[in-house]
Amino acid sequence: MKKILAVVKKEYKVIVKKKSFIIMTVLTPVLMAGMMFVPVLLMRVGRTDKTIAVADYAGGYIQALNAKPAEKKEKKKAGVDLDAIDQQKALREGGGRITFQAVDLAGRDAAALVKEFEQKVLKKEIDGLLLIPAEVKASRQISYYSTSVSDFATLKYIESTLRTAISKQLLLEKSIDPAVVDEATREIDMETFKVKKEGTTKSDSGMDYMMSLFMIVILFMILINYGQMIMRGVLEEKTSRISELLIASARSTHIFYGKLLGIGLAGLTQVALWIVLGAILVSRFSGSIDAAILSFLTPEIALYFVVFFTLGFFVYAIPYAFIGAAVNTDQEAQQFAGVLSVLIIVPYILGISAIQNPNSTLTVVASLFPLFAPILMFMRITTAMPPLWQIAAAIGLCLLTIWGLAWLGAKIFRVGMLMYGKKPTLGEMLRWVRYK
Amino acid sequence: MSELALSLQDLVKDFDGKRAVDHITFTARKGEILGLLGPNGAGKTTTMRMVMDIIAPDSGSIEILGQPFSEPLKDRIGYLPEERGLYRKLKVLDTLLFFGELKGMKAAAVRERGRKLLQQFQLEAYEDKKVEELSKGMAQKLQFITTILHNPELLILDEPFSGLDPLNIELVKDIILTSKREGTTIIYSTHLMEYAEKTVDSLVMIDKGRKVIDGTLAAVKAEYGQKFVKVQYEGDARFVAGLPYVRSCRDSGREMEVELDDISSRDKLLRDLLGRLAVNGFQLSEPSLQNIFIRKVQEGAGA
Repeated sequence: MKKILAVVKKEYKVIVKKKSFIIMTVLTPVLMAGMMFVPVLLMRVGRTDKTIAVADYAGGYIQALNAKPAEKKEKKKAGVDLDAIDQQKALREGGGRITFQAVDLAGRDAAALVKEFEQKVLKKEIDGLLLIPAEVKASRQISYYSTSVSDFATLKYIESTLRTAISKQLLLEKSIDPAVVDEATREIDMETFKVKKEGTTKSDSGMDYMMSLFMIVILFMILINYGQMIMRGVLEEKTSRISELLIASARSTHIFYGKLLGIGLAGLTQVALWIVLGAILVSRFSGSIDAAILSFLTPEIALYFVVFFTLGFFVYAIPYAFIGAAVNTDQEAQQFAGVLSVLIIVPYILGISAIQNPNSTLTVVASLFPLFAPILMFMRITTAMPPLWQIAAAIGLCLLTIWGLAWLGAKIFRVGMLMYGKKPTLGEMLRWVRYK
Repeated sequence: MSELALSLQDLVKDFDGKRAVDHITFTARKGEILGLLGPNGAGKTTTMRMVMDIIAPDSGSIEILGQPFSEPLKDRIGYLPEERGLYRKLKVLDTLLFFGELKGMKAAAVRERGRKLLQQFQLEAYEDKKVEELSKGMAQKLQFITTILHNPELLILDEPFSGLDPLNIELVKDIILTSKREGTTIIYSTHLMEYAEKTVDSLVMIDKGRKVIDGTLAAVKAEYGQKFVKVQYEGDARFVAGLPYVRSCRDSGREMEVELDDISSRDKLLRDLLGRLAVNGFQLSEPSLQNIFIRKVQEGAGA
C-alpha cells in the first residue's frame, strides 16, 4: 500500500508540475469565458454590416426588405419591445445590419447583371446580389449570389421577408383590409424553455447545444490527453529500462495501480480547478453572462462532469497503458493510439445526433455501453436528463469494465514492461494474461 | 543456511527453445563479493534477473538471505540492472525520494541519506536539476545512489562498470568495498575480468549458460598453480606457442602470458627466448582470470 502511494505521489507530482498542465488549467476557463463573453462583446463592439444589391425585376420588394426596422418601430407602440428582440436575435446569430441597395436595371437582362455583379462580389465591393425575377409571385423563385451562402440568418431573413411581402400583396389584391393583412402576416418569435426536474428555465436551444458540445469537447480532449500521458509514461519506463528497477522494487500490480491513480488524480485536480475557476468567473461576472449559460452551468453538471471524467479516465487509460506496455517505439505507440482515439471519437459522433435526439433507442443503448458511456451519458445529461436508473446502470457497467480492465491490464503490464525488442502478436499478449 | 546470502540450485531457463541458463548452481556467503564472470551472452543477466524474480526459472530454486523470494525481500536488495535508466523529467532529489519510498523508506530518511550520498558522489549541487540535465557520468552516479540508497543487505549489480569512465570506475569500486566493509553482500557480473580480479572474494564463471568454474579467488588461482610466466619483450614471438613444453601462450604484442607444462620448464623457456627476442622482463605469475577462463572454455570445447 505504501508503495502504491509512492508511485501515486511521483506520477502526480510530475504531471502537476508540468508547464503544459498549468497552461491548460488556466487557458481552458479563459476559453470558456471567451465563449460566454464574446457574444455580448459582439453586440457592444460592432457587428459586420452588409450591403446586398437587389435586382428587383418584380418591383416593390426592395422596400419590404429595407422597411423592416421602421415597421417594427411602429409595433413597439403596441407594447412589445420588438427592437430589443431584434437586437438579441442579431446578437445570437452574430449578424449585423443589412442594407439592401437597389440596382438600376436599365433594361439589362439578368444574365448580364449576374456577370457584372460576380466581379463586384469577388472584389468585395458588395456582399451579395439578390435577384428577384418579374414572375416571382407565381414561381416563388429568387436567386442569391455571394462569396458566402452559409449565413443562415441573412438567408432566412430574406426568405421570410419576401414570403411575407408576397403574401401581403396577394391579400391586398383580394382587397382585404390592410390592417388585417398586417395582422395576418405578422412574424412569430419562438422562445424555447428547458424542462427539468428542478423547474423549467428559459433556455436557448442554440446556446444549450453549444455549451453541451463545448463540455463534451473538453471531456474528449482531456480523456485522450491523460490516456496518452499514461501511454507515454509506460513507454518511457520501458525504453529507458526503468521498468526493471520498478519491478525489482515493488509488485507490478502496485506500480500499475499507483500509476493509474496518480495520473487520474492529476486529471481530477485539473477538473476541480476548472470548476473552481469557472465558479469564480460566473459569480463575478454573472451580470454580463447570457442567462442561458448560467442556467446550464449547474453544480449538478459539474458533479456529473467529475464522475464521467473519472470513469472515462479509467476506461480509456488502461487500454492506453496496454499500448505503452506492449510496443517498443513511439511510432508504434502512436499507431495503436490512433485506433483507440477512433474508439473514443465514436461516442462523440454518436453524441452529435444524441444532442438532437437524446431519447432515441440508439442513443440510450449506446450511452449504456461502457466504452461510450463516459462521453455519451454525460452528453445526454447535459441535453435531456435521462432517467436515474440509466445513469446508475451506465456508471455500474463502467465500474465493472474498469475492474476487468484493471485485472487484465496489470498482467499485460507485468509482461509487456519487461519485453524488449520485438512487437508482440495478439496471441502472445493473450498468453501473457494467462501467466501467473 | 543463514551463512548464505544467495543460493542458486540447478537453475534452468530456456528462451524460445534456446537454453540461456543451463543447470547453474552456486552460493554466495554473507559479506563477500562474488563476481559472476563470463563473456557477453553467457547468461549472466538472465541469471540475475531470475534472482530478482523479474523472470521465472523453468526449473531450479533460488534462496535469498535464507528464504525463497518474496515481496518484502525486495526492500533488502539493491539491484542495478544492466541497462540503466531514470525518469528524465524528474529532479535528482525527487528521483531519490521516489526510489527510496518504493523501497519502503520514509521520506525524511531518504532526504538524509540521499543528501549524504549525493555529497559523496559530488552531486549535491544538482539536487534540484532534472535528470535530463545531468551528464551521462552524473546520471550513472545517480543510478548507483538509487541502488544503495536503502542500505540493502544484498547488492546485485549487473555490469556495474560498463559505460563508466576510469574515474567513476574507481568510485564504484570504492562504493563496493565500502559496502562490503559495512557487511553488505555484493554480487556483480562483468565481462571485464581484470576488474574482477582486483575485487572479488569468490567467483563463478559461466559460458554459454553453463558454469565453468566456481570457488574463492584464491582457490581458483591455486588450482592453476604457478605455471605461468609473464614476459615483456620486443621481437617476433610467434615461435613460443610451438615450443614443446608450452601449453598455451596469450600474446599481446609486447607482453605474453605463457603457460608451461610444469614450473620447472621456466629455465628452458628463458634460454629459448634469450637468443631470439629482446627480453625486457620475465617473471613467474599467477594465471589471470582471463587466461583461466580461456583455458577452461577450450578444455570444454575439446571434451
